Amino acid sequence: MTTNQKLALVVDDSKMQCKLLSVLLQEENYRVVVANDGASGVQMYVKHQPDLVLMDINMPIMDGFEATRRIKKLSGEGNLAPIIFITSMDSDKAFIDSVDAGGDSILVRPFSPAVFKAKIKSIQRIGDLVSQVNNLQQEQQKDAELAEKMMSDVIEARNFALDKIGVIKRAATIFSGDIQLAAQCPNGDVHVLLGDFTGHGLRASIGAIPVTETFRAMTKKGFSLFEIIKQINRQLFALLPGDLFFCASFASISEHEKSAYIFNAGLPEGYLFNNKAIIKTLFKSTHPPLGILPKLLPDAAIEVVPIELSDRLVFITDGIVEARSPDGTLFGFERFEQAAKIGVLQHGVARQVQNELEVFCQEAEQEDDITLVDIPCSGFQPKDLANSITSPKDISNPTAFSHAGETDFSGAYFNRSYRLAPAWSYQLHLTGKLLKDVNPIPLAMNQINDLAGAGEHWQSLYTILTELFVNALDHGVLGLSSTLKDSAEGFSQYFNERAKRLDTLSDHPDDYISITLNYYPFSSDKERSTAQKEVSKTGGKMLINIKDSGQGFDVLSLIKKNSTDIEHNVKLSGRGIELVNQLCDTVEYQENGTLVTASFVWSDTH
Amino acid sequence: MAIHSKVSSDGKQLTIVIEDRFDFSLHQQFRDAYCRNNTSDVTYTLDLSKTEYMDSSALGMILLLKDHVQLYTGQLVISKPNDTVNKILEIAQFHRLMTIEL
Repeated sequence: MTTNQKLALVVDDSKMQCKLLSVLLQEENYRVVVANDGASGVQMYVKHQPDLVLMDINMPIMDGFEATRRIKKLSGEGNLAPIIFITSMDSDKAFIDSVDAGGDSILVRPFSPAVFKAKIKSIQRIGDLVSQVNNLQQEQQKDAELAEKMMSDVIEARNFALDKIGVIKRAATIFSGDIQLAAQCPNGDVHVLLGDFTGHGLRASIGAIPVTETFRAMTKKGFSLFEIIKQINRQLFALLPGDLFFCASFASISEHEKSAYIFNAGLPEGYLFNNKAIIKTLFKSTHPPLGILPKLLPDAAIEVVPIELSDRLVFITDGIVEARSPDGTLFGFERFEQAAKIGVLQHGVARQVQNELEVFCQEAEQEDDITLVDIPCSGFQPKDLANSITSPKDISNPTAFSHAGETDFSGAYFNRSYRLAPAWSYQLHLTGKLLKDVNPIPLAMNQINDLAGAGEHWQSLYTILTELFVNALDHGVLGLSSTLKDSAEGFSQYFNERAKRLDTLSDHPDDYISITLNYYPFSSDKERSTAQKEVSKTGGKMLINIKDSGQGFDVLSLIKKNSTDIEHNVKLSGRGIELVNQLCDTVEYQENGTLVTASFVWSDTH
Repeated sequence: MAIHSKVSSDGKQLTIVIEDRFDFSLHQQFRDAYCRNNTSDVTYTLDLSKTEYMDSSALGMILLLKDHVQLYTGQLVISKPNDTVNKILEIAQFHRLMTIEL
């Protein structure tokens, strides 16, 4: 007996008939089991799961029609064990009744062995086809489940601030083409993405992994939102076939800058709500979906808006507004906004919208993926950034604005000595158009990681470099006044003006910013770690020089004004330099404000 | 049939009309409507005046048509979408990629 031998079930109250049919089936290489009435036929079916059933009609206890009905009910739709009625009733009614009962064919006695065998072959062919289809379907199902598992376990479970960002996610098929990501930048800002790949199922999932990898890696390295978007677009253009693309909204939320950076390529409008549930800003789609064009359109730009810390950003995919009730009515923007507003007031946008949707759609079939993210504009950095803002603990006097001259670091704070010459230096000099196109901070941070190893303390350094570089660019090279940012209108005016002036940089090849880093690790002196205990304490000092080609400014008066204003919490601007000041040991402006020297000291005790 | 297409007598105009729903189920028919037209400098008009609804896979199908049109240096015009359909085109910012006549 081989395993691929098929099994037939013969149900007939005549032992003689059973014997006869069994012999014929065995000649066709079937194994045969036998039942003598309908009821035990059903039992045998359940027990043996045969590949083929031969069924008599008139039998005691339960007739063939009833037994067939039960078997078909038990085996379900996808699992076809063909049933052939064997009967002497050569009437139309018998034929029709047997098909109605769920029989797949009928064979009228008397028949020759040759006709019987031909019938068996033809019907088995259909059975084989059905099981092939079933196997394919199961494989597809397995693939889809794998894709879903990958999405939920691997991709979305690793999102940042899962507990803070509200999410609705209802897939139309088992795997949804919608994807939502959140990750934290080195300076504590948060990047969020909500996207929708065309199509559903596995087809929609191929872009998810590269998008996720790029989004996370670039955010972690400190690239700006726009650079990440450009890269994701490039990647998807190369990867996806012509009719597949990625509609997505991006947000970068900066608590300390009190601003949000938004880009919407192909999704419905995004919302900025205040805590009274008033819509402050709508973010319309301003760009075709990603993956269609080799590069973003030349006028592609990030929208920058001032935020209050109690504001909420809400992004949705089109599945929500296109969800239908059983009578075909669309859920629509109006119902969505209404639900979202109530949700904002009750601190549960996702929950409220989801409830409304369920009531509205009832049992109607869901045609598209439904996804929403509800992002608070604060609360992302209670621990992480709080830690990184504090200066290294060993430093008792971190607040000084400008110690004139060289600070004495020859070991006073750490009982350690620094080498006189830096262990290494790094300089990057950018001119003209490059100032617009290149973000030097990730480049510098990469170098630092390569030279001095990775470490938590570089998060603070990243913030310092970013703030100082942006200051040099905005207020130095571009000559923008930060007082513009003090009002909400001025805020957007500032960013418009900034974009305009950045574009003119290509005509000014003499404009430059020069960044110099000098690194002094603590010397590995052993004199202090006496024999008793090997205290391994690592640390060092990074001396940062940033020089720009701008006009400079009246250093002292600005700093004074800034610090009083910030104490009274009246300004949108000036927070950057305040942050730098907290993080650095010293910050010093020279050469009429065109050169800033900052010293960042860190130490780690293991 | 939800798709009709016709070529003008001089062969320079190919019009594709789509009725009711424009979605993935029309994939093959939509392709068949243009893919054998290999002459260059043809104006392809996608008439959406009778289209009630369009989904994102239809946007993908339009992009494939655009690739075809570009390959044979033709013109592509999307014509008369209704408000619902136009909203979808607008969200996808397709007017940045092709001509849409309202």
